[in-house]
Amino acid sequence: MISVTPTSSHTENLDLANLTAEQTALSIRHLNLHYGDAQALYDISMMIPKNQVTAFIGPSGCGKSTLLRCINRMNDLVEICRVSGEILLHGKNIYDKDVDVAALRRQVGMVFQRPNPFPKSIYENVVYGMRLQGVNDRRTLDEVVERSLKGAALWDEVKDRLNESAFGLSGGQQQRLVIARAIAIEPEVLLLDEPTSALDPISTLTIEELITELKKQFTVVIVTHNMQQAARVSDQTAFMYMGKLIEYADTNTLFTTPAQKQTEDYITGRYG
Amino acid sequence: MAASQRAQLEASNVRLVKDKVARWGITFGGGLVLIALLLIFFYLLYVVAPIFRSVSIDPMHNFALAGSGQTVALGMEEQSEIGFRFDDTGELTFFALKERIGTSWQPGDVLLQQQVASQPTAFTATQPQNKRYAYALAEGAVQVVEPKFRSRFEHGVRYTTPYIDPAEHPVIAIDPQQRTLVKLAYEYQGNSQLFAAVTDDQRVIVNLLQASRSFLTGTTELKPKFTELPLQGSVDDLLVTPDLRQVIVRQGNRLSIFSVSRTGTVTEQQTLTVDRRQFGPITSMSLLAGASSIMIGHDNGRITQWFEVATENGRQYKYIRQFQAGQSAIESIVSEFYRRTFYTISATGEVGVFHTTSEADLYFEKVGQLHAEHLVIDPRANTVLIESNNQLHTFELHNEHPEVTWSGLWQEVWYEGYPEPQYVWQSTSGSDAFEPKFSLVPISFGTIKAAAYAMIFAVPIGLAAAVYTAYFMSPRARKVVKPTVEIMEALPTVILGFLAGLWLAPIIEQYLPGFVATLILVPTSIIVVAALTSVLPKEWRNRCTDGRAAVILVPIVVVVGWLSFELSPWVEQTFFGGNVREYITNELGITFDQRNSLVVGIAMGFAVIPTIFSIAEDAIFSVPKHLSQGSLALGATTWQTLTKVVLLTASPGIFSAVMMGLGRAVGETMIVLMATGNTPILDWNIFEGMRTLSANIAIEMPESEVGSSHYRILFLAAFVLFIFTFAFNTLAELVRQRLRDKYSSM
Repeated sequence: MISVTPTSSHTENLDLANLTAEQTALSIRHLNLHYGDAQALYDISMMIPKNQVTAFIGPSGCGKSTLLRCINRMNDLVEICRVSGEILLHGKNIYDKDVDVAALRRQVGMVFQRPNPFPKSIYENVVYGMRLQGVNDRRTLDEVVERSLKGAALWDEVKDRLNESAFGLSGGQQQRLVIARAIAIEPEVLLLDEPTSALDPISTLTIEELITELKKQFTVVIVTHNMQQAARVSDQTAFMYMGKLIEYADTNTLFTTPAQKQTEDYITGRYG
Repeated sequence: MAASQRAQLEASNVRLVKDKVARWGITFGGGLVLIALLLIFFYLLYVVAPIFRSVSIDPMHNFALAGSGQTVALGMEEQSEIGFRFDDTGELTFFALKERIGTSWQPGDVLLQQQVASQPTAFTATQPQNKRYAYALAEGAVQVVEPKFRSRFEHGVRYTTPYIDPAEHPVIAIDPQQRTLVKLAYEYQGNSQLFAAVTDDQRVIVNLLQASRSFLTGTTELKPKFTELPLQGSVDDLLVTPDLRQVIVRQGNRLSIFSVSRTGTVTEQQTLTVDRRQFGPITSMSLLAGASSIMIGHDNGRITQWFEVATENGRQYKYIRQFQAGQSAIESIVSEFYRRTFYTISATGEVGVFHTTSEADLYFEKVGQLHAEHLVIDPRANTVLIESNNQLHTFELHNEHPEVTWSGLWQEVWYEGYPEPQYVWQSTSGSDAFEPKFSLVPISFGTIKAAAYAMIFAVPIGLAAAVYTAYFMSPRARKVVKPTVEIMEALPTVILGFLAGLWLAPIIEQYLPGFVATLILVPTSIIVVAALTSVLPKEWRNRCTDGRAAVILVPIVVVVGWLSFELSPWVEQTFFGGNVREYITNELGITFDQRNSLVVGIAMGFAVIPTIFSIAEDAIFSVPKHLSQGSLALGATTWQTLTKVVLLTASPGIFSAVMMGLGRAVGETMIVLMATGNTPILDWNIFEGMRTLSANIAIEMPESEVGSSHYRILFLAAFVLFIFTFAFNTLAELVRQRLRDKYSSM
């Protein structure tokens, strides 16, 4: 039995079903996804508010990571994957034919479950996205590195060894480096796919604190199988089960007074 | 409970034994591999080592001189069982050199003693391998003597007896004026004999006697062609070359060289003055084996080698190199029967052993503390007979491989008849007089050349294919493509070589412009098409996925290739006057061989591609997906991800792939053997072939005599090849380790 106490501190409760255009970062409409013949997502519709942390929870295989990966079209890499429906970013469907996927991903950054620094120096890892865009001015890059590493709460630990290999960092530091790398290109949305599942508790805590900081600047969407984490860091929580969005509400409401039986069963630990 | 615990214990015992057996088995297997490698290494060294062994001369027997008078020449028969001595009274004495099974011979026993000439006035010997000697008799006549040996076998034992056949060589008059001859030189070839002599009235005469059969009487008679040379003053030395084409007369430090035509006409060819201040006064002179070089001994212990080199004035004798045998005068120079080794006797009695080609000073000391006066080498060059103080001494000579020195193998050597020092590999030839040329430089170069051209062809294709297959191809296609390419590796290279030599080479020759055009235009057209697609409207471009790109490209590649070949005859006709081959040879001055480096590069490249492809593809494919996804998630295009992350991470594997390919190309034998002319040339020209170390071994090993210098040098070539691949692989492994430390990820 897990006892969950929502601790997230947000001032106002948004009406998630009817967000205004200014409040919305993303809106997902009737999203269906098939892997070959198997359907993985069923008619998902939701609005993700700006500068807030939205968590996707649910048991393994419920489709929460798949949904997350739809937002920056990482599912395109899976050959047998077909998507229907829309995801609107600034009112533009990202699945439209004329969308430049690389440009989309610059606006929607992503951090993966396992830390994946490139085999380069700490510095080069952070500026990787900038260099892709052709920014090579040393001064600009230096600024970006400092800002991003500070933003990822890593600056003090690595400022003296920026030119050393990123592999010399601990797992938690690597994950923060990856976050720094993602925020270096200043995306609007930051997708975090179980960012702490491979980390120790102390690193997890650091990252969680970081996420709370990040939402000031970015819209954060996080997938986690750790309900306490969702409760701690998120403003809204979506509970998914078997590819369906069961319940989507602000975190307090969802964890204290879930509307659905399935949600309640899950958060009280009856399955999952 | 106790029982089940015991059962558990027993089970774990079995497991322990299995573990141990496995560990020992693996250690044993690994050890065997290492031992096998070391054995190969040391066996190669063991075979190669004798070529660098120094000369040794060990005493065998000594005995008193048989016969009377002063020695004029010593000799030995083939088995060095019997020696003989000519003296100044005209007596020839045969004597035993060692004990013989089945006889009562003791070293020094006289076997036959015969007066072969009466009151001789001069004596000469032919080149050692011609085995004839001549005494000048009174009134300008000459008696030729040929010591002969008869062998018979009884109960498996060979008995050799010496004899001479006086009827074979009647006395020949060579001076029509019938003066006494004071110096004599003699050589023969077939039925022709060439004499040169100095008479007591200081005339230098040359007489070529050619046998001709009379059609009327059926008898053979000697037709002389007599010439008097236009020389004044006293003559110190007189030499005749065994091809009967030259007479060399030494007067002090001046050498006059006369050429003799086939009919006996004598013309002056060259007058050579050996600089007295530079080299010192001449004390002796002799022809080296093969008779292309004159060896001149000087009074300061120096020996200089001179041979004919092509100049503007025709072939002229030229100073080549020198050797130093102590500080005292060189009394005589003795050459071996077949090899370019010569022996010197100094005025102070030391014996020197030298080899000209390898410029090797092999030996210089007083053999057995003796003051040597006369010296002779047996035909097989393993026994030395030395006369000293009226005693004869036999010595065992160990000088198996004088022609090989480290510098001779790797540096330019001035070979007889060559205009300048060169790197040459020419191990055998039709004649015994041939000077073997063992330079490993041309064949090592050939190995590198073949490997380089193969790599130029294989690396871009192999790596590009690996990148495409691992990174862009759909998993379904990859499952088919990868094993197919890997099966190519199992293709016997003899088939590739044979196809390259017999099928591809003529096609390339026939469609050369088309072929070159294909090599240039196909990659260009691919890039052009890629550039064109990038300016297409966005919607079209997004529709053109990676799989469709191949569908568009394949017909373009095919069409461009087909066009290149179709237009080839037209291009040839329009720009190269109808024949590219002739154009390249005549207008550009580049030699064109049908089986050239282009063919080898393609054929061997084809053999190397699967190696490079397979390893590089594995390396690229095993780059963790989360790395490439991490890059894509940062807004990188597929191409950016490939070049900036994937290739970087896979670089140790890609490097290994290239080095493994190189190792394979260096060691490859059959393709280079069959697809080139195997000429050991030193030239990067793509239209000429090469001879590689491995092909050289394959070609020459079957025909080399076991234990000969040639045989051992082939083993040395194998050793060099071994070192080549060992060095390449070690270097590759070191670099790979460093790259892996730098770029490998979790």
